[in-house]
Amino acid sequence: MIEISRVSKWYAEFQVLKDCTTCVSKGDVVVVCGPSGSGKSTLIKCVNGLEPFQKGEVTVDGVSVGDPKTKLPKLRARVGMVFQHFELFPHLRVVENLRLGQEKVLGRSREEADAKATALLERVGLTAHARKYPGELSGGQQQRVAIARALAMDPICMLFDEPTSALDPEMISEVLDVMVDLAQEGMTMMVVTHEMGFARKVADRVIFMDRGEIVEDAAKDDFFGQPRSERAQQFLSKILAH
Amino acid sequence: MFSNFDWDVIARSLPYLFLDGMTFTLMLTALATAGGVVIGTLIAMMRLGGLPVLPWMAAGYVNVIRSLPLVLVIFWFYFLVPYIGQWVTGASRPVQVGAFTSSLVTFTLFEAAYFAEIMRAGIQSIPNGQVAAGYALGLTYWQVMANVVLPQAFRNMIPVLLTQTIILFQDTSLVYVLSITDFLGAASKVAQRDGRLVEMYLFAAAVYFVMSFAASSLVRRLQARIAIVR
Repeated sequence: MIEISRVSKWYAEFQVLKDCTTCVSKGDVVVVCGPSGSGKSTLIKCVNGLEPFQKGEVTVDGVSVGDPKTKLPKLRARVGMVFQHFELFPHLRVVENLRLGQEKVLGRSREEADAKATALLERVGLTAHARKYPGELSGGQQQRVAIARALAMDPICMLFDEPTSALDPEMISEVLDVMVDLAQEGMTMMVVTHEMGFARKVADRVIFMDRGEIVEDAAKDDFFGQPRSERAQQFLSKILAH
Repeated sequence: MFSNFDWDVIARSLPYLFLDGMTFTLMLTALATAGGVVIGTLIAMMRLGGLPVLPWMAAGYVNVIRSLPLVLVIFWFYFLVPYIGQWVTGASRPVQVGAFTSSLVTFTLFEAAYFAEIMRAGIQSIPNGQVAAGYALGLTYWQVMANVVLPQAFRNMIPVLLTQTIILFQDTSLVYVLSITDFLGAASKVAQRDGRLVEMYLFAAAVYFVMSFAASSLVRRLQARIAIVR
């Protein structure tokens, strides 16, 4: 479903992505990990064209992201994205956050959008908060709203960019639970995270990145069992130690 | 000291001062604010958008206007607009536009430069992540602007926008150079007709002060009410 082929990206002189190639098949959950500054967030943002890249190709469901003729808004509407800092619209109520894309992009009626929003808020356990503003919710609640907002567009796949790293520890599990449910339902997911527990539970594959390169791209059991590269071994020993 | 003052002149001329004068002042303030905010927002978007040439043009406009005294621009437009009209329409003689239209155009364009800077700050105060989130939902540039960025930018900037409007309310008195009957113009005309300069100008000053001060206090209260919870 997502094909990333020989993608390179530079910020002026500095190369942030080096010849990255991988793919995510329909229904797969792929976890991307690596030290900070390794380019994992940049890579995931290339998938829906939020970050432009200079070389290589990314296709989503057969549509090329880098092609100037591609209508990016149309493509992005089919790819859900969840951000590290939630990025809910603070001037809109929770239910309005969930309605905006449905009405403006998909052209759904107010009633349809409302019905979808209500169903999704129930699914993430936030029905009681529909009329509140994002600023009145905890971080974990906001991130669950953000997931619901992305799901409201009926995406064909979901991208998660460090969805739990801005959360207080006690709120991480409520967000991961929603993501695990989603994975088990067969959603295609690409997840940048350090939550190795999540990776162990639902990932099909784990990608390890360092300094803009994909160093390791392996099935979950192989990755945790015997990572081949030294850098991946070091990384794993560091984050699994605590 | 006030014994030989004739305060009656104020009472006698109240209908003229307020129905003619103040109505004009408020109308000019409101129309120039509305037009200035719309044009100013567009200029701010031009300046911040990634297109070629436009940012440069927008910056040039803002800098030129802000470097000129308002009175000069008022005069300049009054005498120049008829010729521009002639040039645009190809008429054989200058197109008379009247003092009101001329002053409205002047104030709108002048205020647009100030509102553009306010809106630029407002738009820049919105984090990039908000724009990214809008794009990620599939919204277009204009939809992101209209639904995500500008509503928040306006909300953040309302106190500053209103303060600028209060300044504009005072600045509209400069239309006296075109002999327009705004509030100050009306007061001035009564003052000269009845030879009651001190009374009328004192009264005019008091009215400007009371209205501006009351408006400023309202802005302060509004500021606390509309802040976005983050």
